[in-house]
Amino acid sequence: MTRLRRSFGAPMAALIVLLTGTWVLGLIAAPQVIMIEQSLWKMDRPAGADELSVQIDRLYNRLDMLMLDRAAARTLRTPSATEAKLAQIDAERAALAAEIADLETAERTPVKTWTLSNYAQMGQAHLRIFAKTILASLAVTAIAFAVCYPIAFAIAKLEPPRRAALIMLALVIPYAINELLRVFAWQMILNYGGPLNAALGLVGIGPVPFLESGSGVFVAMVYAYILFMVFPLYNVLETLDTNQIEAARDLGAKTWQIHRRIVLPHARPGIAVGCIMTFMLSAGSYSVPYIMTRGTAAPWFAQLVYNRFFQASDWNVGAAYAVSLLAVCTGFVFLMMRLLKVRLRDIAK
Amino acid sequence: MTRTGSGLLLRVYMGVFFLYMFLPLGIMVAAGFNAYSPPSVTVWKGFTLHWFVELWQDDRMWSGLANSVLIEGAVIALALPMGLAGALLLGRLGTRAAGVLYTAMVSPLLTPGIILGISTVIFWRGLEVSAGLFTAILAQTTFIASYTMLMFMARLQRQDTALEEAALDLGATPFQAFRRITLPFLRPTILTAAVIAFLQSFENYNTTMFAIGGAHTLVTEIGSRMRFGLSPAINALGILFILATIVFALAWGALKARERRAAEHAT
Repeated sequence: MTRLRRSFGAPMAALIVLLTGTWVLGLIAAPQVIMIEQSLWKMDRPAGADELSVQIDRLYNRLDMLMLDRAAARTLRTPSATEAKLAQIDAERAALAAEIADLETAERTPVKTWTLSNYAQMGQAHLRIFAKTILASLAVTAIAFAVCYPIAFAIAKLEPPRRAALIMLALVIPYAINELLRVFAWQMILNYGGPLNAALGLVGIGPVPFLESGSGVFVAMVYAYILFMVFPLYNVLETLDTNQIEAARDLGAKTWQIHRRIVLPHARPGIAVGCIMTFMLSAGSYSVPYIMTRGTAAPWFAQLVYNRFFQASDWNVGAAYAVSLLAVCTGFVFLMMRLLKVRLRDIAK
Repeated sequence: MTRTGSGLLLRVYMGVFFLYMFLPLGIMVAAGFNAYSPPSVTVWKGFTLHWFVELWQDDRMWSGLANSVLIEGAVIALALPMGLAGALLLGRLGTRAAGVLYTAMVSPLLTPGIILGISTVIFWRGLEVSAGLFTAILAQTTFIASYTMLMFMARLQRQDTALEEAALDLGATPFQAFRRITLPFLRPTILTAAVIAFLQSFENYNTTMFAIGGAHTLVTEIGSRMRFGLSPAINALGILFILATIVFALAWGALKARERRAAEHAT
């Protein structure tokens, strides 16, 4: 803190701390904490609501008894005695009525109950969708890596630098184009009357309901997120000294040995970034299933989360779903960092 | 396999990959010029610009564009100072504290966008603020500030601190030294960070969709239209996006080339 003040002067140091604090605490930490908190409680009937209702019944009985007493009091001999008795009974009735009102609000007002039951709400069907979404995201990640590794290697190490820069610039175009457009292109291709079904029709197959069966979601996901694997891989492979590869080859290493012992170890940070990005984007993708299924195929997990909040209006269960997804993605980040032995500082560049 | 043989194989593979990347976009572009609705390339009814006209007359698209621009302006105004403050603070902390702060600041980039969106809405709902443009701005700022922070951090690491120290030795106040030396040094990064923040905000779908409530931006509106793909006006808009992206990519390439030349001159 003193270093900060010495570097920038007190007013600016205060501003820097204020801005960073607002961002880190107000925008990043607080919403996550509140979301987790929200997932851990629900509004419930108060504890002991049953006993309360028995007690209320008893009080009502007592009230009825008082009414009988009151009727009986009218037959008392002296008017003054009647007056006194009536006043006493009325006071008792008022007290009883107040007590009943209190108990009834206590019985009716739901109380905030801490519980893990929001997480258990994910029944068989939703759990299956959760698992499907995660498995599909893992598959997208694996396919993206398998397809992109040779591409990134070829561009970074086999092309002359100037040509490599041009190729990467060309790839920026499909990469930077809005994700929705990439998805929409595949919706057209896989549509019932689309070009793919037209081509299949020529050889006497189909038409195949790609969109309605949900398989289109997977195809479009691979297409939409594959370039998030190419760029990180290319960036690390570009920094690999080609002499290392040449030396290994001169010493008699086979191609797969060169990749296993030299290229892949060097590419670890890029692999980590590529896998984390691809997995996270796929697992949390709302756009791809939303556009590709048109509501005809079974929903994906992001859609379930959306529906919990904005259609079922069950914010506690919705928060539990969101936290589950967050937990899986965070787990994947740690897994990748551990498997590939990279630190966060190597990742975010 | 011989080396030239595997080289040829890689070339073919790369060609197929490029075809895979560009052909779908080509199909979408073609349908935008086809005088047939819904968007199609299998039924060709001749060339038309009618869908651009239809797009031009679409009021919801215009209001979405207005909302997008509003959100972008606010996001840039928030994310740039926050990212810069974070990067400056990071450089003045001890190793351990810097590590914790750094993790916190990059965590939004590793979080699914829908989580950033919905957690912002949950948080502000507790304060009786319902979802809308305001929550969309904050949700986007959460992760866009991470990008700007990383960009400022990279630039600051290359700064020669001797200049700043010299200014301080010569009697400048810390603020003067920052304003006259550090800020001019950061100027190119401020510009590129603003461009990146603009693009990230404009193009964002998943976070915005979960944070914006009943309002809409251009991109969320495109999303709901695409679902049923009824009119090729969407394709026309796609063509405009593609053109904008090409212009942007070329400008970016030119900028990079200039930077490289400048770096070569310097050495």
